[in-house]
Order: sequence, then structure tokens, then C-alpha cells
Amino acid sequence: MVAAISRKRFLTGWTAFIILFFLFFVILPTIYILSYAFTEWGSIEALLEDQGRMDLIWGAIGASFQIAGIVTVIDIVTGLPMAWMLVRKDFRGKNLLDTLIDMPLAVPTAALGFSSAMFFAITDESLQAPSFALGTIGSPYLLIILLHVVFSYPYMVRSLSAILVQIDQTYETAGRTLGASPLTAARTITLPLFRAGLVTGIILCFARSLSETGGTMIALATMANARGFATGPTLIGEWKDALDSQPDLAAPLAFVSILLILLSLALLVVIKLVVMRVHLPMGRIWPRPERLLSRGVFPKVKDGLAVLFLVVFVLVPSFFIFTYVGSVEPTAFDWAPFIRSLLYSFLIAGVVTGIDIALGVPLALYIAKNRSGRLAGALDVLVNVPLIVPTAALGYSLGVFWASQEIVPTHDVLLIVLAHVAFTYPLVVRNVAGAVEEVDPAYEETARTLGARPVQAFRRVLYPMVKSSILAGAIMAFTRSLGETGATQAVVANAQTAPVYIVDLINLETAAGYYSAGLACIMLIVISFLFMLALRYVTNRRAR
Amino acid sequence: MPEVRLEGLGKRYGNLTAVNNVHLTVHDGEYVTVLGPSGCGKTTLIRMIAGIIEPTEGKVYIDGRDMAGVPIEDRDIGYVFQNIALFPHLTVKDNVSYGPRARALPPEEQLRVSRRFLELVRLLDRMGMFPDELCGGEQQKAALARALASGSRLLLLDEPLSALDSRVRVDLRYELRRLAKELGLTTIHVTHDQEEAQSVSDRIVLMRAGAIVETGTPEELYARPKHIFTANFIGETNLLEGWVVEIRDGISVIELRNGGKVEVHQTDHSVGDAVVISVRPEFMYPADEGMRAVVRGITYMGTYWRVKAETEDDEEVDFDMATLDGNLLTIGKDVYLAVNPKAAVLYPRPEDGVEEAIRLE
Amino acid sequence: MPSVRLIGLRKAFGGIKAADGLDLEVRNGEYLCLLGPTGAGKTTALRMIAGLVSPDEGKVLFNGEDVTNTPVEERKAALLPQTYSLFPQLTVEENITFGLDIRGADDRLKEQVLISMLDLVRLSGRSTAFPRELSGGMQQRTALARALASGADMLLLDEPLRALDARLRISLRTELRSLVKSLRMTTIHVTHDQDEALVMADRVAIIREGRIIQVGTPKEVWDRPATPFVANFLGQSNFFIGEVLQSSPCTLLRTPDGTVLKGRSSDLIPGTQAVMGVKIGSTELSKERPGYLQAKVERILFEGRNLHMDMMTGGGQRLSAKLPSWKKGRITVGDTVGIYWEEEKGTVFSMPANGLESELKVE
Repeated sequence: MVAAISRKRFLTGWTAFIILFFLFFVILPTIYILSYAFTEWGSIEALLEDQGRMDLIWGAIGASFQIAGIVTVIDIVTGLPMAWMLVRKDFRGKNLLDTLIDMPLAVPTAALGFSSAMFFAITDESLQAPSFALGTIGSPYLLIILLHVVFSYPYMVRSLSAILVQIDQTYETAGRTLGASPLTAARTITLPLFRAGLVTGIILCFARSLSETGGTMIALATMANARGFATGPTLIGEWKDALDSQPDLAAPLAFVSILLILLSLALLVVIKLVVMRVHLPMGRIWPRPERLLSRGVFPKVKDGLAVLFLVVFVLVPSFFIFTYVGSVEPTAFDWAPFIRSLLYSFLIAGVVTGIDIALGVPLALYIAKNRSGRLAGALDVLVNVPLIVPTAALGYSLGVFWASQEIVPTHDVLLIVLAHVAFTYPLVVRNVAGAVEEVDPAYEETARTLGARPVQAFRRVLYPMVKSSILAGAIMAFTRSLGETGATQAVVANAQTAPVYIVDLINLETAAGYYSAGLACIMLIVISFLFMLALRYVTNRRAR
Repeated sequence: MPEVRLEGLGKRYGNLTAVNNVHLTVHDGEYVTVLGPSGCGKTTLIRMIAGIIEPTEGKVYIDGRDMAGVPIEDRDIGYVFQNIALFPHLTVKDNVSYGPRARALPPEEQLRVSRRFLELVRLLDRMGMFPDELCGGEQQKAALARALASGSRLLLLDEPLSALDSRVRVDLRYELRRLAKELGLTTIHVTHDQEEAQSVSDRIVLMRAGAIVETGTPEELYARPKHIFTANFIGETNLLEGWVVEIRDGISVIELRNGGKVEVHQTDHSVGDAVVISVRPEFMYPADEGMRAVVRGITYMGTYWRVKAETEDDEEVDFDMATLDGNLLTIGKDVYLAVNPKAAVLYPRPEDGVEEAIRLE
Repeated sequence: MPSVRLIGLRKAFGGIKAADGLDLEVRNGEYLCLLGPTGAGKTTALRMIAGLVSPDEGKVLFNGEDVTNTPVEERKAALLPQTYSLFPQLTVEENITFGLDIRGADDRLKEQVLISMLDLVRLSGRSTAFPRELSGGMQQRTALARALASGADMLLLDEPLRALDARLRISLRTELRSLVKSLRMTTIHVTHDQDEALVMADRVAIIREGRIIQVGTPKEVWDRPATPFVANFLGQSNFFIGEVLQSSPCTLLRTPDGTVLKGRSSDLIPGTQAVMGVKIGSTELSKERPGYLQAKVERILFEGRNLHMDMMTGGGQRLSAKLPSWKKGRITVGDTVGIYWEEEKGTVFSMPANGLESELKVE
């Protein structure tokens, strides 16, 4: 009896610790900067008077949101047929296509930005470009849209197909037995059921686009005439860089961060409401035209276009860097600083992943098992906050938070680790919580009626079933941390992680710099790719 | 008028044969059940008729028309799914009117049709509700109304009752048959439940391992099954092994393994043949002489008593008693069992043994 | 082997009362079937006994000892869930020895138990297979062996046969019962299938809306149902509404059209409204005898050992009857028959408060 009580107490204490960690180390720092509006209202008021700065801020934020919106729409339109094809059709090469879609995820955004900018926008004015580059995009606005499509497209396809898999195909078949053509059935039955899933996809893409820093900065730097154009995150990056020499940038920095955080959170709510309310014209059915479109060449043309889009606008830009490095004159490459930055990145990613697993898995378990409870429900919502807030704003907020206290020493490495934990922690929690929820609680319950204590039931029954999801979460957190630029720069202006190093190389604007950056990108791609392969291996094993 | 004809229908998945060379004609207005244990290919069969699965060989004719290459939506069928598959985002009324809507009938016609069929299944008062607000039996009725409202005269039912409680199932199966007959539909109903098959069908098609074992009316399959598998699958039966020792006047005399002798009104075997007698529990009764057995258990079945007894060679035999009053049967008591010679059926003894011949999975 | 007592158990999920003053006694070594329709609270009752759900009110006693707050793993009550929940990453063998492993039993004991269990459930050839490689019936037997081998002295079966084919289900009923009985375990078996309960149980407890409405041997609950619901849930009944004329030595009920029906004696007060229930299997038909009332045969279905007859009375009431199949041909569709029953087979109930229709609802 005594043992049972102390066990219960221990469990309560442990749970409380995990939740407190989450709230104080992840959530609070993420949104701490909002308090600036109250404590330093005066400086913000002064900023509001400063017409030049305000124009810059509104311009950048406006561009960010417009770009994110357009990117999301493009992703939906082009991603839906692709997701449909992957889930509902059987054809040769489906596995290959499935792998190809994930490939851009393996490329760190910094490398992706360089590679895409090279493909879309490079002209001979700026640097020697391979002859087969597209090189026709003159507008930075358009370039960033194309770039963001490259890396958000896989997220959209993945989240759409994840939902599609869950929608029982029997519904469509039932519709067809009632006389509906495949197109009609898909439009009137599957799409409406799809809505909740669409919200996830939209939010994910929007947030990714809004948050992207490294790739955007590089693309803009690579471009010949991008001066003056900025997005919210790149503005933060720039100003943070200049903060030491211009201390009066503190107020604008805080203001941009606050705006980005508030607007992105507000957007989350708006998207949820709007998508759930919007009524697509589902009432009418046009049997003849829809039947016609379901037959013959139309579906094939649609699938063909989907694949073409994937190749031209996603895959080629992602890996164009290889052709660049292969086609220009090699210059000397100084390996030492790059290797140093790479090791630095690995160290951080490793520590971050360790913390995520140790403290994320318990939270995931708590959320998954108390889903109906109010606290767990609130935590489940809060977990998404760091995923939605643009990482540059998150990083700046976090830096200010840790600088403002005296308990934890503010060493550069520590700050970067804490920043990376903040936005990778949710990845682990969501992954593991999702996996645990999928396991029928009857397994653990049965184990307990067979005499297993709760700890034994977890270790012997549940853990083997979710092991691979924990690993998958870890690999995701690791690669995300490895590729992150925005948050790193926003916490510590001159941190020497690999992505930041690449940005710096490109900012040199010399041929040697570009070449070195290209080589560094390829290295980063190869390493990330190995991790991605590991991820696929692990998840495939789970599916088996 | 729909008539369904299957000619040499088969489906292979690599090396695996799900359905093998099925020939079957379902007549207009007939209610046919395809019965069989899990994995016997019955679901694959009905899905091939609907066009959900493409056959690898053979042909499906509906109304004499070859269905090869005809997509599901042009086959004009009503289909009820095992998992019910009511569209969760539509109300009951909108579910039922989906068929008319897909054919772009005017709205007032859609409403009229959905009212008519909901009334038929007695769900008119549930029109505005969503599927998850109905209980299991009501959901199944709504799914049925939806299938019927598409205007088809051919109804395909894929294990329509298996998700329901047994008591609800019993009520609904009578309802199914009533509707099918009232509307003059041709119905093909797939199930693993032999009681369900018996009470709804005009004809039962019994399948095992991808092929048809036997086809016949419920009565034929119960009273004079041609195969030993059928005898055991449809209703319970005692299978006793023995040899034919004498044939006279339309009667075969069988000597059982335990030495007892049984007479059977069937003479298509010769003296010396190894045979199996199938006799149902209700056609076996205690008598003054016959097969000796010890009573091992007595169970009350409501309208009769089921007695389990063990013969001298350790075989278990079940027999039924209408009443135990005045009959001093108790556990441990010896009885002599006689068999109704008209109700027993003889089979040649299967080569791989009886157990294998009647195996259920 | 323990006896189980449930005293005044209450449990609500949101606004839904899954247990609403549930009392039940299960005797030592008894095989008890808890029978009821979906949503009656069967599974919740079972989970409260296992300790997986803690009651809002009331007590659970094992052998007279209060275990309401005892953790699941110390109750020694092994659960066999509806879908078996065999641990997919473990082999048949490892599944069966799971309980012993947890308790740290030595290898010799494990070996012994394993061999006897594999033998008992006829799985000796499949001990190294994984659950997904087994047929439904084998999975069910593995789960049973796992529960039996855990050293539990009580077995909680949650619809153990539901996932199986109908025919297999019938074959496995007696097998499962005799296996459990041979080990003398106290067993509580939850089911919605009245045939299963009749065949397998020592006693049947009928549960509805979170309360036990009757407990008794299969014969008691069949022949002497406590409520119209029980009369109809176990084997379907025909019902007649009328006024009680007398209640002893037999009950006489006068229907609105003046017919007087006879039933078993009761303690109803003459002059009150009442319902008489007669099992369709006890409803007899005759072309010669006038019976209590006449009806026209509308449909005859052959159901193997029985014929199912649907009839309509002159007053528009639907009645059914089940007759042995050998009577086939004596009565045909369109015949007008007299309907009667033995006085002992008519059970008279006081009029249900919410009307007969809602009393009989099975969903």
C-alpha cells in the first residue's frame, strides 16, 4: 500500500516536471517577446512614428504573408492530384515516385535556397551560370515563391496523402455503386471528408513558408538585383546582424517579431475557421461532363501534369547545385572552417535531439493517454505553437528571454541549443503522441490484467510498438536542427553553424565564395540524405 | 429484368487463387445467398459482380450483357457494404438521395424518392439525422434504403448484418427478405452465418476455398446435403464412421466403429464400403437398444434439451430431447441411441479423414 | 478460486450511465455469462471487475475482501479482450509465458506451463509463429492460453467469440467452456448472443441500462423471465396486452377484443393492465383447434431444425411461431390457424411504465 502511494506521488511529480519544462523552456521563451510591447511601449510608439522603418516592416511582413498564401494555394492545386495518385492508384514506379517526393526534405533549406536560386534566377551578370539554368526569373518576389514551393510541396503532398489514406475508399465505391462517376464521387464524398486534413496541410505549408529564413536569404543574396526586398524573417536576420553596431534596432526587431508571432497565431485560428466554413459547390452534379472527365485521356493528362510539375518545379531546382559545382571552374576550397561549422552543427543537433527524446517522449505519453482531459488537451494545442511561429521571431524572442534572466548562464551554444529545442521538441512530441494513440490501449490493459505493473506494461508492450516512431521523431528533429538558419541567427548573430556558414560564403559575392558554398551545400545534402534514408528504413520497418 | 450469370469466373492474386472457375445463374427475382467460411472467396465473388474487382478470368453477365470493361457506376446495382459506409458528412435523407442526385434528377424528385425508401425501411423520422446519431440496426436500414433508392433492381449485400448484435441481426434478416420480395428484387447476399442464409434465401450457394461446394434450397442443403462439408457447415450434425455390412429393401445397414449397427434409407454404396453417417441431433433419440453411450452434459436450449454423450470409442454424440420430464436422463447415465433411418445421410469416407473434410479454417 | 461481489456500482461517462446501481454475485468456480444488448454496460462492468475502470460509487469484493482500490495487476483476474490483443511482436510461446515472465518465474516452471498450455489449446505445432500468422480460431486459443498461464484465478472474457465466423463460433462454445471448467476458474463471460449464453453459462445475468435485471440458470431465465425485455431478448416472444381477471391458480388476461388468455400464476392485482409474453418456440399452431385466437399464415421460412412462421391476426397483430421442421407441410401459407400455448408457457408482467415498445427495444 505504501509502495503504491509513493509510486503515485513519484509519477505525479515527474509529470509535473515534464509539463513545467515544456511550459518554461519551450512555450514561454517562444512568445516572451510579446511582453516587450508592455514593458517598452515607449520605444514602440517612437518606432510607429518612424515612417521609413515602418514602411520597411510592413513591406517585409506583407511580402511574407502574401508569399505564404500564394505558395499554399499552388501547393494545394498541384499537391492534391499527386497525393491522390500516390494513395488511390497502383502503377509501376509508384515507390520511386514516393521516394522522389521526400527528396527535397532531405536537403537543408540553405542548400535548397542556393540550388533553386541558381536554377531559376542566375544570370551571367552575377556569376558564371551553367548554360542549362532557367535564369529567367527577374523578380525576387517570384523567386521566393518558387523557392518556397520547392520545399513546402513535399509537406503538402505528405499531409494530404496521410489524410487520404485514412478515408475509407469504400465511401467512394459506395458512391459509384449509386451511379456517380469517379470524379463525382471524389468531389462530393471524399473532398468534404478531407476538409479537416486540408487544414493541417495548409497550416503546415503556411508556417513553413512564413518561417523560412536561410534559403530565402541565400536566394536573395544569389540574385543580382534583389536589394531592398525582404521578408519578415530575413529582416530579423539582417537587423540582428547589425544590432551590435546599431542598438536602436532593438525596438524594430522586437516589433517585427511580435507582429510575426501574433499574425501567425491569428492566422492559425482564421485558417481553421475559414476552411471548416467554406462550402465548395458540392450540391450540383453534372453527370455527363464529369463522366467524360473521368474517362479516357483526361485522368492520364492530369497525372502527367502532376509528375511534370514535381520534376520541373521541385526536383530539378532542389538538386541543380550538383550541375553548378560540376560545370564551373573549381577554385580552392578551405575545408577547415566548414568542417568546424559542420561539427558544431552536429554537436548542437545531437544535444538537441537527446533533450527532445528524454523530455518529449514523456510529454507525448501524457498527452496521448489523457487526451480527454482538459490539461492534456491544452498541451496538445500549445505544442503546435512553436511549429507555427516563424523560427526567426522565435529565435529572437528566445534570445531576449534568456538574456533577461540571471539563472541560466547565456552562453552562445546553450542559447542555440535552447532555440533549437523549442522548435524541434514539438516534432518529437507530435510524432510519438500520434503513434501512441494509434496503439490500442487494450494491449497495455491486457498486460496489466496478466500481472504487469504499469512500468512493465510500458516497457514490454507499448515501447516495442512505438520504438520506431520515437526514432523517426528523433531523426526529424536532428535534420531540422542541422538545417536551421533563421532561429540560429536570431539568437546569436554570428553563430558558426553550417547553414550560417554557407550564407556567409554567399554573402561574399565572389566566384570562390559561390563555389565553396556550392560544395558545402553538397556535403550537407549528402549527410542529410543519409539521415533521410535511415528515416525511411525505420518507418518502412514499422509499416511492415 | 436483372438476371446474373457467371461463367467460369476466377480471380488470382499471383499464386493465390481467391475464386476459381465459378459458374452460377441467379434468376430474376431470386434471393440467393453465397455462404462460406472466412477466406472462401465469397466477398471477392460479389465484388467482381459489382465491378469493384476485375476478374482474371471468366465473365459476368447482368441481364445478358457482358460486363467486361463496364465501370461500377454503369452496372446499375444496389450494393450494401459490410461496414455500412454511410457518408458521414451527409444526413440520412441526403445519403438516400445520393443516387438520384448523381443522376441529376430534379430536387423534388430526389426528395420524393428518399422519402419513399425511408418510409419503406421505417426510418422517415430519422431523415434529418447524421449517420453517427443512429444505432447499428438503423444505420444498416439507412444503407439499404440508399442502395434501393438508386433505382436498381439488383441488390448485392456484402455481409450486411455481421457488424450487428445477434438479436438485432435476427430481426433485420426477416426485414431484408420482406423488402427484397416486396420490391421483386434479384438479390445476392454474402454471409458466413448459416442461420442467416437459411432464413433469408431461396437458394444457397455454399463456397469453400474459392470454389462452389454445393448449391440448393435451404431445405435441400439441410436435409440431403451432397457433401459432408455441407452437412456439418449448415446446422450441427453427428458424423459417425463405419462400414456398409448389408443392403436390403432400400436400406443399408452400417456397422459403426464401436460395434453398434445403424440402418439408413439410402443404398448408393456397396457392402464393404467405408462410410460416414451424418445424422442431426434432432434425429437421434434414446431407445431400448442401439448405440451405447454415456451422458456427459445436458444443456437447456429453450425449446429443447441438448444432450452430449460419449460413445464407447470416445466419440462425442449430440442428441436433442423435446422434454426431460419423465425421462430419467442424468449425467453419467448410460443410454442406447437410435437413429431415424430416413433422416440419416451416407457419405463415402473422405480420404484425408473426416476432420479435414469439415475443417472450418 | 474467488467469488466476486459487486455492490451498488455506479459509473458515468459524461452524461451516460454505464453502470447505474449494479449488484451481482458470482460464485466460486462459476461460469457466469453477462448478457445484454450493445450499450447495456456489460464491458464497463467487466472492466470494473478487472480494475481498468474505477467506479464512481460502490464496491467490488473478491472473496469478501474489498478490492475496489487494488491495482489491476494485483487482482489476479486475467482479461481476454474482444480482439484478443495478442502482443504482435511476440511469438505464440512468448505471448503465453508473458504473465510468468513478468513475475520472474524460473525457466523450468515456464517450460512446464508452456507445454501443458500448448497441449491444452492444441497449438503445440505453432509455438514459434507470430500472432498475425494464425487463423482467427488459433489467435483466440492463444489469447486464452495466455490468460490461463498467467497464474490468474479468475477469467474475464469480453465477447471472446465475436470475431469468429458463425459456424466456428458454435463449435468453439463447448470447447471453451469445458476447458475453463476443467481448470475450475471463476469465469465471467460478456456476450450479446443469447444462444451463446444459454449453452455456455452456469448462470446468466441479464444486464440493461447499467443494471442487472435478472440472474438465474439458463432454464430459469428462459422459462421465467423477469421482464418482457428478458422474455423477448432470449428467443423472441409474442406479446398480448389486456386486463388481469385473476392471478391464481393461473392468470387470466382479457384482451381489448374480449379474448381471454391463460398464463402461469402471478401476483398481479385483478383489474390492472398487464402484458403476457409467450416464446415463439412455445407458440403452437393448429388447423383443427380454434385456440385462443386465429391468425392467417403469411410466410414460412425453413431454418434447418425449425420452421419460422409469420402470421397476422384478424385484429392486425403480427405473431410468429417456431415449429420443428418435421411438421413441414401440415400448415401452408394462407391457412388460418388456431394459436394456443400451454398455460405454464405464458408469463404475465405488469404493464411497463414506458410502454411495451420501448421496453422491448434491443438497441
